[in-house]
Amino acid sequence: MTPNKLVYKNLTRRRGRFIFTLLGIVIGMASFVAFMAMGGSLKAEIERESAALGANLVVTPKGSCAYEQVSILTGEQLPTTITAAEVATIRAIEGMQAIPYLAERSAINNRPVSVMGVLPIETKEFKGWQIAKGVYFPTDDAEGAVLGAVLAEQFELEPGDQVRVRGTMLPVLGVLEETSGKDDLTIFLSLPQAQQLYQQNDLVSYVAVRVDKLDEVDLYAMKIKAQVSLGVVSDKQMLNSVLGIVGTVNVTLQLIAAVAILAAAFGIVNTMLTATYERKREIGILQAMGAARSTIFRLFLLESAIYGLLGGFGGAVLGLAGSFFVAPYISQNAATSFVKGSQTSVDPMLLLGAVFFSTLIAMLSGLYPAWKAAKLSPVEAISYE
Amino acid sequence: MSDAIIKTTGLSKEYGRGDTRVRALRGVDLEVPRGSFTCIVGPSGHGKSTLMHLIGGLDRPSGGSVSIDGQEMFTLKGKQLAELRAKKIGFVFQFFNLLQSLTAAENIEAALMLAGVPEVQQKQRARELLATVGLSDKVDAKPGQLSGGQQQRVAIARALANDPPVLLMDEPTGNLDSSAEAEVMTVLDELKRQGKTIILVTHSSEIAARASYLVKVRDGRIEEVVTSRQVLKKIA
Repeated sequence: MTPNKLVYKNLTRRRGRFIFTLLGIVIGMASFVAFMAMGGSLKAEIERESAALGANLVVTPKGSCAYEQVSILTGEQLPTTITAAEVATIRAIEGMQAIPYLAERSAINNRPVSVMGVLPIETKEFKGWQIAKGVYFPTDDAEGAVLGAVLAEQFELEPGDQVRVRGTMLPVLGVLEETSGKDDLTIFLSLPQAQQLYQQNDLVSYVAVRVDKLDEVDLYAMKIKAQVSLGVVSDKQMLNSVLGIVGTVNVTLQLIAAVAILAAAFGIVNTMLTATYERKREIGILQAMGAARSTIFRLFLLESAIYGLLGGFGGAVLGLAGSFFVAPYISQNAATSFVKGSQTSVDPMLLLGAVFFSTLIAMLSGLYPAWKAAKLSPVEAISYE
Repeated sequence: MSDAIIKTTGLSKEYGRGDTRVRALRGVDLEVPRGSFTCIVGPSGHGKSTLMHLIGGLDRPSGGSVSIDGQEMFTLKGKQLAELRAKKIGFVFQFFNLLQSLTAAENIEAALMLAGVPEVQQKQRARELLATVGLSDKVDAKPGQLSGGQQQRVAIARALANDPPVLLMDEPTGNLDSSAEAEVMTVLDELKRQGKTIILVTHSSEIAARASYLVKVRDGRIEEVVTSRQVLKKIA
């Protein structure tokens, strides 16, 4: 007999209660781990998208807020208020390259997809795209669509197929090589065709700007503002702003999960207190057999810790599985739409942290019941019926 | 009484305060010789069990002292007192008090574990002890699968786990029928023969007849101590 075996025997004597208490902590930890994992992948995805944008500055409609900045990174639909004249003015500024985008939405088989109107030749060079299948737009006003790699695979579209965009069937010209970003989930059209389909004549959503001299980013921002009455934001500002929103969303989700963990912790307190009352007589017997108060305390604390250890491990596995399978379906809004294109990151530290955190919570929950058990007087405990 | 293994001096115990104060023991002086079989008898509620609990270090007295093997018991701190209980005293209770989730052997192993005996030695010792009380075939039986007499014999085997010099038994046959009582008495006779010091609270005249000493407790005091010959005379 060892203390561990004794604890195991005590834990499993009431299997139903053991399983339900354990489920409480598993579910609490699973939700916590799932939100942490999704939050982690969301942050990484945003940073990747920001880098993939390839711009130092982004020109947005006047009065754009963080939501529009999120939309730029996610490929969501945006208000189109930047005129062709303004684009031309911006593009005329020397020492930088400016690429206009028209961000719209369409649907394939009732599933929403991003549609992006681009200047094909300049954008290809700007983004460094490669063609995996078929051909690219031959001219800047070519008809047809070029698809992101993941989108083409999801909807089983090949060059030569037809894709319906806003009620118009367009030929698929080619498929891009995978970029591991939102471009993989986008239908690209030439800007004139996109403007025509969406009736946004001469209008674009935003303009991405890359300056020749990185240390003069602020100077160019001022130059643009001086020429046109539009919002200009640097990639760093945009990243901070978006990460700020995502951070708030993450913290909110994690707080919800924390409530679930707290409820599970009280479940452990309840179970262990019940065990203390049920085993009052046995505690007295152990004391008569020579168990010190500290031994009783340790036995009960160990029992609580096992709930945390198993619950943490089970919760981490369930949470990661949940985030992996559920993430692609959870949302279509800008703040979380990154998740749909990204794999959940499996961070070993997150797993270890979850198990450690859960065990710690369970041990804290077990402190009071263990103390109650340890302070029982042997005579009182033995006489208990 | 000479060569006392247990000695109590002015031992008293009070419960409650003020008007609700109960004086369970009022200055008990007792010496229990090594290797003796002492029965504590008396009416219910007169302090027999309280005396047993204090001798066994399960409770702390309101006044007086208890020594075991020359060691003052209540000068010890909690952990040391627990260690003393594990090594020097074996308890047997009326209601057997076996740990229900453990088998017969595991109940004995638990007592050995608390005394720090390595796991490998525990198994062998548990089997030996169960053989001693005639329960070799019940090693893996849970308490619920044993009769009352068998459970009490497991409890005695558990009390003997760490080979303590003193056994304290609180009405060990109080919950048994006559055949089960006979089983337990056979074990007690063997323990007497081995020279264990046994202190036993009982209402059974048959057990009292086997005692070397009979300590009569009334109103929290020792009314009379009767020796073996007198015991037999009285029983007769």
